[in-house]
Amino acid sequence: MVEFSTILAGFGDAFTLWNLAFVLFGVVVGQFVGAVPGIGPVMAMAIAIPFTFGLDTLPAIAFLVGVNKGGLVGGAVPAVLMNTPGTPDAAATAMDGYPLARQGKPLKATKMALFSSVTGDTFSDIVLITVSAPLAILALRMGPVEVFGLMIFAFAILSGLIGNSLMKGVIAAAFGLLCSMVGGDPENNTPRLLFGYWQNYDGLPLASVAIGMLAISEILRRLSQITGDMQSAVEVIDTGNPDDRRVTWAEYWACRYTMARGAVIGTILGALPGIGSTAAAFMSYASAKGASKEPETFGKGNLHGIAAAESANSAVVGANLIPLLTLGIPGSVGAALIISALMIHGVQPGPLLFENQGRLIYGLFGAMIMANLMNLWVGQLGLRFWIKVVSAPESIIFSSALLLCIVGVSMATGGIFGVAIMLIFAGLGYLMTSFGYSVVIFIIAFFLGPRFEISLSQSLALMNGDWTRITNYPVALILMALAVCSVVWFSTGARRSQT
Amino acid sequence: MQNTDRMTGGFFLVFGIVLYFAIIPNNVSDMEGGWILPTTIPNATAVLMALCGGVLVVKPTVQDIQSPKEFMRAGFYFALLVLGLWAMSYVRFVYAGPAIALVLMGLIGERRPVWIVTSVVILPAAIWFLVTVILERSLP
Repeated sequence: MVEFSTILAGFGDAFTLWNLAFVLFGVVVGQFVGAVPGIGPVMAMAIAIPFTFGLDTLPAIAFLVGVNKGGLVGGAVPAVLMNTPGTPDAAATAMDGYPLARQGKPLKATKMALFSSVTGDTFSDIVLITVSAPLAILALRMGPVEVFGLMIFAFAILSGLIGNSLMKGVIAAAFGLLCSMVGGDPENNTPRLLFGYWQNYDGLPLASVAIGMLAISEILRRLSQITGDMQSAVEVIDTGNPDDRRVTWAEYWACRYTMARGAVIGTILGALPGIGSTAAAFMSYASAKGASKEPETFGKGNLHGIAAAESANSAVVGANLIPLLTLGIPGSVGAALIISALMIHGVQPGPLLFENQGRLIYGLFGAMIMANLMNLWVGQLGLRFWIKVVSAPESIIFSSALLLCIVGVSMATGGIFGVAIMLIFAGLGYLMTSFGYSVVIFIIAFFLGPRFEISLSQSLALMNGDWTRITNYPVALILMALAVCSVVWFSTGARRSQT
Repeated sequence: MQNTDRMTGGFFLVFGIVLYFAIIPNNVSDMEGGWILPTTIPNATAVLMALCGGVLVVKPTVQDIQSPKEFMRAGFYFALLVLGLWAMSYVRFVYAGPAIALVLMGLIGERRPVWIVTSVVILPAAIWFLVTVILERSLP
């Protein structure tokens, strides 16, 4: 158990001016990039990671968390103004936000999105802070066999839940695992799949793979969709009525049950790997509409619709860190990027994290709470500015993102070779997405691959190479059985009938 | 379109087979000893890809696909990036970076001088300042 003094010291670290400045910077960057359609917080985090090398661990991670949280708030701005979500998470927000903007209430809609986002996010952070340490103690009792079983289960869930086909999910996971096998094998250090490029002996650089597949491939997609006409500025309708520019306490309070429901849905779904904030937002929206006495007003500018979507999608962010911090398994790409940043700074995620790095983790929790407050503050001050950011031309956004990716990867990998790998994975990511293969599963499998192989090796060593001894490990057996059940469940189309 | 899934499934079926029988044996040396061979997981992934690819060929899902024009445009931009990277390995980022930004903006259709100057001069200069002066690292 983490000592109380460690918890206090961690929170104390988060409240130093230096760390708060990075949280604030992250939130500003996050809201900015979230407001720009086409970039989004995940791409921004991927680009930002190499630039955090020179920082200490806490400010670096706090900055990335700020970007992630700020991005969700910023993503609502183009959803409301243009019916074009800045992030996929904000797609449900557009359903009521855009009609409200067309009625001349864009600021009311974006402010409601901001308040409900911060509410949902704070709720999930409190859940994270209270449950993750006890869960980590439970996770510590898991040996390599149980970890191996857990990873099989995670792969099965991810493959089934992300995308529209289990087979494509499994292919993406297998492909990610295969790419993670490049380099020396963990038992004998035998070089594998190097093709003469000995620079890859330590494995393909995560920065190249993640930035290539997430950022550059998306930039390529967006560039290919531009047909030569520059985007026109967004027309913001203003009625001139001050009540249409603000959310009153009564309006906020009237949405309390909707936000609570959204926060719970987001937290539960966020704690499960692979489901993601988009699904949480739509599920919360549907449940809010179902519970409403005026369901016909949804889709026509109902504040409850915005509150439901935003509280749920933001609650996912904190909850995503539960499997990451307790088990070392990222539940989303954002979490995978945070885990990779932790590893770059020499911190090994997993159940031992609370024991070995308790102060850092509680510092991170403190930074997350502060990020929520700053989200509220920056959002209140910056919403008018973000509304202008929405109309920034794509030409400057994509060319600048591209240059930042090149420089960032070069810094992370120590030269142009890493940039070349980034381009290869950008092409691969573009093709995979175009044909419906999830890059999210690919990246998570790529990230977990080396640990998966080591767990398998250690499990075999423990069982002396005899798989029948797995009966001595009931937890692992149950997890593997659950994995098989989920594969059967997903392949029989039960998931499709559910949705 | 179901044909799309059949096509990609067929690709992964063939890719898995080629991996298993040609690429992995020729690029991973097997070692004696240890609990798992260096080829175990690569082979397992190859088998999985081939099997799932085969299933996709037989039971495809409906997959929307972009227009060929979009694919060609993406391929063109990709080729441009490869060219830019090649140029960067000779003349370094300081010259190649602004050139890439300029060509990109021109191709997208940006003609407004303010945005062009911002993207081609101010932004690369800001990156140079951030990386070499503040972070004290070298540019590619």
